[in-house]
Amino acid sequence: MLTLTSPFETPLHRVAAASKLLGLAAFSIGLFALQDLWAIILAGGLAATVYLACGLGFARFGAAMLRPLWPFLTILTLWHGWTGEWVAGLIIGGKMLVAVALANLVTMTTRLEDMIDVVERAAAPLARFGARPKVLAVAIALVIRFTPVLMDKAGQLGQAWRARSSRRVNWRIVLPISLMALDDAERVAEAIRARGGL
Amino acid sequence: MEKNVTYIALFAALIAVLGLVPQISLASGVPITAQSLGVMLCGTVLGAKRGFLAALLFVGLVALGLPLLSGGRGGLGVFASPTVGFVIGFPVAAFVAGFIVEKTRAAIGIAAFGGALIGGVLVLYVFGITGMALILGKSWPAASLLVAAYIPGDLIKAGLAGFITQGLAKLRPESVLSRL
Amino acid sequence: MPKPPASHKNSSLKLMDAGYAIAGRSILSGLTLQLDEQRIGIIGRNGSGKSTFLRLVAGLIAPTTGTVEVDGHAPTTDRKAMLSRIGILFQNPDHQIIFPTVAEELAFGLRQQGLDKAAAAQAVSALLAQHGRSHWAARAVTALSQGQRHFLCLLAVLVMGPRTILLDEPFAGLDLPTQNRLTRALAALPQRLILITHDPKAVADYDRVIWLEGGQVRADGTAGPIIAAFTAEMARLGEADADTDLTL
Repeated sequence: MLTLTSPFETPLHRVAAASKLLGLAAFSIGLFALQDLWAIILAGGLAATVYLACGLGFARFGAAMLRPLWPFLTILTLWHGWTGEWVAGLIIGGKMLVAVALANLVTMTTRLEDMIDVVERAAAPLARFGARPKVLAVAIALVIRFTPVLMDKAGQLGQAWRARSSRRVNWRIVLPISLMALDDAERVAEAIRARGGL
Repeated sequence: MEKNVTYIALFAALIAVLGLVPQISLASGVPITAQSLGVMLCGTVLGAKRGFLAALLFVGLVALGLPLLSGGRGGLGVFASPTVGFVIGFPVAAFVAGFIVEKTRAAIGIAAFGGALIGGVLVLYVFGITGMALILGKSWPAASLLVAAYIPGDLIKAGLAGFITQGLAKLRPESVLSRL
Repeated sequence: MPKPPASHKNSSLKLMDAGYAIAGRSILSGLTLQLDEQRIGIIGRNGSGKSTFLRLVAGLIAPTTGTVEVDGHAPTTDRKAMLSRIGILFQNPDHQIIFPTVAEELAFGLRQQGLDKAAAAQAVSALLAQHGRSHWAARAVTALSQGQRHFLCLLAVLVMGPRTILLDEPFAGLDLPTQNRLTRALAALPQRLILITHDPKAVADYDRVIWLEGGQVRADGTAGPIIAAFTAEMARLGEADADTDLTL
């Protein structure tokens, strides 16, 4: 299953995941505390520089990941344009953009296995309370394994629907898709038990 | 133990699939994303604890960088964006929905509708609106206005969750864990 | 094709008046069998209890009457002991492949048996190399064809080194070349095989064939005569009028 890790290799890819996450936390807290528009613009400029330093393809991918924010930027523009509080609007919008861009930077430069490693190490002390890293690893693997499988089956169900109806697929298809999730869960549980259980 | 893990994982995958498949249309022809319907079903079918864990697993994987949110969104950036409240609210919504189904003695369809309504709409929107208000620097009422247009669709979704849970209870009574 | 000799002493598989009932309905009853042969076929119509029988022997379900013993252990309770004795190949690869990549899927069983990450990875590499599939290691399972996924499931079973392999209709839905490949691969295995199938041709050269009907043993012996009787009965049933009876 495809992740959001960028295929373009950058120097940041080699930094340890835990360091990047801690760095992000620190930056985010600092960013949240900023109230000066120029400081935020500067932070934005720094973020953009880091993206571009990682490569043009990388930066374009990063820009695409910011697209879901457009509607909200529009809302902010309309809102603050109406009230006249331009500076406040720019501060809010700027902080949002920079925060999301920095967070995406970590996501784009960290491989899924490394993220999972961090989670497992962080969860290790919780083992005393019953959390078991092996079970977590299997759970994560199962979701990654079965999302494409369920999607394929959902696609086939959609085709079966369209083969017998001129109307568009509607909500009723969620029932058989859920049924497949239930049935698959039963059978996979059996397959896991057949190989020693959890 | 294996059954718990597989049910939780498969339903986390279900939330992803319901967000990723091309839009399903409601009866009126309005396209909706069925992702929050998946969250509701986690609670109404699996019950409070497992539904919570399924939705939590889903959110965790989004954080780890998988593009599982509708529209193919994912990664840590989601948690700094205005929709963060909804995402964080998923596990809570599932828990509340499941709790209601487990503790009510009404017929499964009605209980599931009630659970989906209170958990999947009311609680979820409280989280969602709060998150939006915080990130966009607006008051709670103002943020509510922004999402008001989606509420009718989600009310219908709660009804659908009731129907679907009822249907599953008839077809696979031993798999509807919320009522075992 | 000459069968390879048993690589080591096989596990003893015993059922003593074993039966399985669920919700008041009896699915299997009165099974007393000692399964020693190297190649055993289980044939019967759909609904005769073949899959339940396999799950009983594998220890995935416990008998509601009687006992099942593998090397003196009860397979349902002593799961750890079963891992090295019994492997199961289910019908549908999508129901038994747990991990998204080949290497992870193969390593899982070994980790379950107690190997650490490095030792498991090494064993997986060795197994893949042995079958000329070293390049499969990092592949996503979704990138494999249907036949390749079946083979992956077989490898995932073999990697755990069981002495007996149970197979639940492994040929269902496979195209002919894949069927032939799988048949050849199975024939070459030194482990004891217990194969469930509704197609008697698949077990025509097996040492012993058991015909299950309505949850009980209808016939048990050498392949030839049992298969002939089975085929005749199936033909007779097929010629009778349409199957309209509702059983439930």
